Amino acid sequence: MTESKKFALIDCNNFYASCERVFEPKLEGKPIVVLSNNDGCIVARSNEAKALGIKMGVPYFQVKNLILQNNVVVRSSNYPLYGDMSSRVMRIIAQYSPIQEIYSIDESFIDLKGLPFDLAIHMQSLRRQVRRWTGVPVCVGIGSTKVLAKLANRIAKKYSKFDGVFDIDTLPYHRYKKLLRSFEVGDLWGIGRQSAKKLNRVNINSSYDFYKADIGIIETLLGVNGKRVYQELRGHSCVSIECIPPTRQQIVSSRSFGDDLTDFDELNQALTILTRKAVNKLNNHKLAATTLTVFIYTNPHKKDKPCVHLSKTVGMTTATEDESLLIPLTAKILKLIYEPGHSFYKGGIVLGNLSKNYRQQDLFSMNQDSQPETGSYNKSNPIRSINRRFNESVKYASEVGNDRWKSRSGFRSKRYTTSWNELLLV
Amino acid sequence: MMNTHNHGGARKGAGRKKNSGSFKEDTKVIRVPISLVESILPSIEVYKSQVKTGVEVLLTKENTKELMIPIFTSRVQAGFPSPADDHLEDALDLNTHLIQHKDATFFVKAQGDSMLGAGIHQGDILIVDKSLTPKSGKIVIAVVDGEFTVKRLHKYKGNITLKAENPEFEDIKVNGTDELIIWGVVTSVIHQYD
Repeated sequence: MTESKKFALIDCNNFYASCERVFEPKLEGKPIVVLSNNDGCIVARSNEAKALGIKMGVPYFQVKNLILQNNVVVRSSNYPLYGDMSSRVMRIIAQYSPIQEIYSIDESFIDLKGLPFDLAIHMQSLRRQVRRWTGVPVCVGIGSTKVLAKLANRIAKKYSKFDGVFDIDTLPYHRYKKLLRSFEVGDLWGIGRQSAKKLNRVNINSSYDFYKADIGIIETLLGVNGKRVYQELRGHSCVSIECIPPTRQQIVSSRSFGDDLTDFDELNQALTILTRKAVNKLNNHKLAATTLTVFIYTNPHKKDKPCVHLSKTVGMTTATEDESLLIPLTAKILKLIYEPGHSFYKGGIVLGNLSKNYRQQDLFSMNQDSQPETGSYNKSNPIRSINRRFNESVKYASEVGNDRWKSRSGFRSKRYTTSWNELLLV
Repeated sequence: MMNTHNHGGARKGAGRKKNSGSFKEDTKVIRVPISLVESILPSIEVYKSQVKTGVEVLLTKENTKELMIPIFTSRVQAGFPSPADDHLEDALDLNTHLIQHKDATFFVKAQGDSMLGAGIHQGDILIVDKSLTPKSGKIVIAVVDGEFTVKRLHKYKGNITLKAENPEFEDIKVNGTDELIIWGVVTSVIHQYD
């Protein structure tokens, strides 16, 4: 195995459940499940809940009995809390390597190549610091490729004897072979369910089968991506660290409503607030959008009623990031697509065709007495700057309504780190 | 009279279909100064791609008649510059003053009067740093049997006591059997007067 590169994957253990435990230590050792938006499905489980056989992604009502019988603690997802805890964890990880890729809310790759430390000790101190500073437990997998680091992470999680840090490159070849036999091919990073099915058909079942298969077969079956995984598994690094996240292609802001909505004004309230959320995201990423899609769906699971999907996309002549343009536009589009008489259970908007927020001149409407702005573009929008300072106090008229659209989150813990009114009480 | 031609001329249905071009509408030839070509072409390309992708094009602004070309892009400053400009410093920021380890610092709210002697009142906000070592004598957030409490930590010869700072409250002596976790060290208290 070549040792020219060295990666670590740091993965938080059962991240959502762990965040809940930081602020409710009495949940330590108890089974916890976290539900998706609107309390629909299981999106996270503690080890104890996994042991009870509660599967990822199943609808809550299907396992409700199992949950009640075993006193499983149920929480609605608390994304403000998880997001804040995630950024704390990621910033601490960043102290341990100059090159970091934030791969997901609870996973991060770092480049360890050329660091003048004993890597195992370096990573142990990372692990201890994250645990102590934030309360969130993490495991670290080390390997000469990202696929190997990911595999190493699973081992670090699975066997407590490694104390949360495992370097797969230290394994002698015969042990490495044995290890690959114990993992299904679908367990490898980059081999999805469809790819695994294809491989199973030609009798490639374990990771070891994949490892010793002919590269030509892998490439024929899975294309260049499969070939990359194959080579990474053999220690040739093909996927490097992406420090700069790729520019977002689109921003989606959608919700299942707490109650089915039929009324135009109720829908308009929901979509206005969703648009504002999306525009805030747009501004945070310093992007501008050229298309806006609005969609509303009825519930496809209700067999007695017609299944209605209404949506429309409009484009704009210039990319914009201005909520005072986008919010009325959402209402306009909604008016175009809305049909009375249906019960809509889900809706949302998509900002598409995103570009970096430098102003392109609009040939068709040269209303250019507004000076091209330099520096803070937020100055252009007084509503935004007021809301920044005064905690979202100015609202569009259409944002106010009966709030029937708001999703159910009956079991949400407090937003301990992002809301003054919901601090931890001691 | 021979007024019908059945050969020559345009045949019906021949040629390129109307509105079948890149713009799906009638086009017109115009003269454009060469210096403006570069700035006009991109907009036309954008429009073309929007037509092609089937995305409807709406004009974002109502007034499309006027075309004004900016002559000056920077404003001329009038008046004296402020003499203080050269002496500007960052305003005082309580965060940098009160928080040493941002990623390990949490705010919690005090309940009860057990720490009144240490200046912690009901409803005060405590700044808690989880990264600090809980030394004897520090005020800490402790978890005893799963419940949070704020007390002063005393370690003496291996005995750990969580001391209240109010004679009406009893100290908590931690036995070997009790589960004690020091969650964080209190570094400041924020007390707001009504």
